[in-house]
Amino acid sequence: MMAGEMRKSALMAVEEINGGDEFDFTFAPRLRDPGGVVAGYHTACADLIREDQVDHIVGCYTSASRKQVIPIVERTDRLLWHPARYEGFESSDNVIYVGAAPNQHVVPLVKHMLDHISGDVFCIGSNYIWTWEMNRVIREIVTSAGGRVLAERLLELGETAVDHIVKEIIDRKPPVVFNTLVGESSYAFMRALHVAATRAGLTIPMLSCSLCEPELKLIGSAASVGCITSSAYFESIEGPENRAFVARWKARHGADSNLSVDGQSTYVCVMLLARAIRRAGSVEVGAVRRAAANHHYDSPQGPVWVDPDNNHCFLTPRLARSVPGSQFKIFWQAEAPERPDPYLSNLDLTAIGSYLEKSDDAMSKRPNHLRVVK
Amino acid sequence: MTKPSPFSFRGRRALMVMRDDREISIVRRQLNRLGMTISEHDPAEAPPGETFDVIVMDADTIPIKSDLAAAWKIGAPIIALIGTETPSRLKWLLELHPASFLIKPLRSAGLYTALVVAFDSAQRRIDEAAYVERLEDRIRSRRVVFAAVLQIMRVHGLTETEAFALVRQTAMRHRTTIEQLSAEIIAVGGMPNRTTRTA
Repeated sequence: MMAGEMRKSALMAVEEINGGDEFDFTFAPRLRDPGGVVAGYHTACADLIREDQVDHIVGCYTSASRKQVIPIVERTDRLLWHPARYEGFESSDNVIYVGAAPNQHVVPLVKHMLDHISGDVFCIGSNYIWTWEMNRVIREIVTSAGGRVLAERLLELGETAVDHIVKEIIDRKPPVVFNTLVGESSYAFMRALHVAATRAGLTIPMLSCSLCEPELKLIGSAASVGCITSSAYFESIEGPENRAFVARWKARHGADSNLSVDGQSTYVCVMLLARAIRRAGSVEVGAVRRAAANHHYDSPQGPVWVDPDNNHCFLTPRLARSVPGSQFKIFWQAEAPERPDPYLSNLDLTAIGSYLEKSDDAMSKRPNHLRVVK
Repeated sequence: MTKPSPFSFRGRRALMVMRDDREISIVRRQLNRLGMTISEHDPAEAPPGETFDVIVMDADTIPIKSDLAAAWKIGAPIIALIGTETPSRLKWLLELHPASFLIKPLRSAGLYTALVVAFDSAQRRIDEAAYVERLEDRIRSRRVVFAAVLQIMRVHGLTETEAFALVRQTAMRHRTTIEQLSAEIIAVGGMPNRTTRTA
């Protein structure tokens, strides 16, 4: 589903660029759809470069697909504009990372969890690099703050048999569930947990750093409500750029269609590319990369610019709660766009750990805070 | 005080012993991203006096037949950048005990892994050296333990097995090592009377 959202947004950006008078050039999109088959990305990318003589490629949702494409764009010196948030620990000179880095998605969410919910967390995710690395970061921050990872449960990608894990959660009643499942597994899990928790009379807060509006609709209104989500973009962001962007989107795709962080980010990719080409006066990769560096763009999600130190973007982290109507209600956002830290080099565990000590009622929130140590 | 993640290298000191400008800029960029402090050193010069946490060394820039090679064994883990894979060059490299390596041409990916492996293997070497030292201490004190067991056998009329068991149990009760207790037994000529337990 996300691939379709991203393609629609890319084409919308291309049409706006071609139809307006802001740019004195037009884009001729060349489309390839490997359909999520990982091995297909290598071929599709090689094909775009050799057959279509493409200099700039926008796309890749999963890290597995991006890792297929990177060797080719590095060897042929092309530029991949990557829209999706990812787990970090990469900085290719031939990739512009427009999605959030881990300091912009998971870290603020774990901080919020420690501050306002609990230090004891039940983790469920897909048996995939995204979950593995998210779980490592969660465990490192949580244990450093004196909390506990109660469980790490993994499902194979696409697996929708979730009942055994739902039963375990209902039995153990963890104070919070951190959900890093991908796609159908996540939808099935959220539906099943909602039914079981309602039947048991339980309210268990759930956290996610990937949930988006079209997914809320797929999951269904009852089960999708109340998930605390970290993202650089929500459809509900105030501000003239986003209101106008949402209106243009709905005019194209229908009043009941929804935007997503990945769709919006793909739009931002194409716009950043167009602006960099305009500044560079050339499509040549080196010139475009230099022109993109530090160039501010007032995007639907607010000001965005490329940090030339690591080719990732300054973005504004936000936290929101999913509400009825396939929307998110934003309750926190960073005061300014945050510098990307793909290697989490600036993560200071002491600063996060002290949250619990500073909080007066940390003990009442976290009954398991004290344990007998022999 | 800040507490970084064990996977964060912020503030660690790296020394680049390299010559190629393009490669220097790739390594420099990546070390900067990781928040490390960077110094450069000419491969033709003798190693500098100050200490570093890691050395990134272009192995191809140092002549095999030179005194420089041995001089680089100065303690910090070495990440070797390798272009020439001839056995003569690799044999020279092994003398330096590289903690990790990267094959040229360099790209941004790879250096982080090389650093993780280098710091890990450096820590393992420290831990293993400490472990070996503990083992050597125990070997050295074998004679003392043997003498103490003989002493207890004589004083209490026990078999060797019984005497050793007594020494072991007493050491555990006193929360000390068999070697330490044995030294005390020899000093006082029998099982020492401890009224206070060491915690």
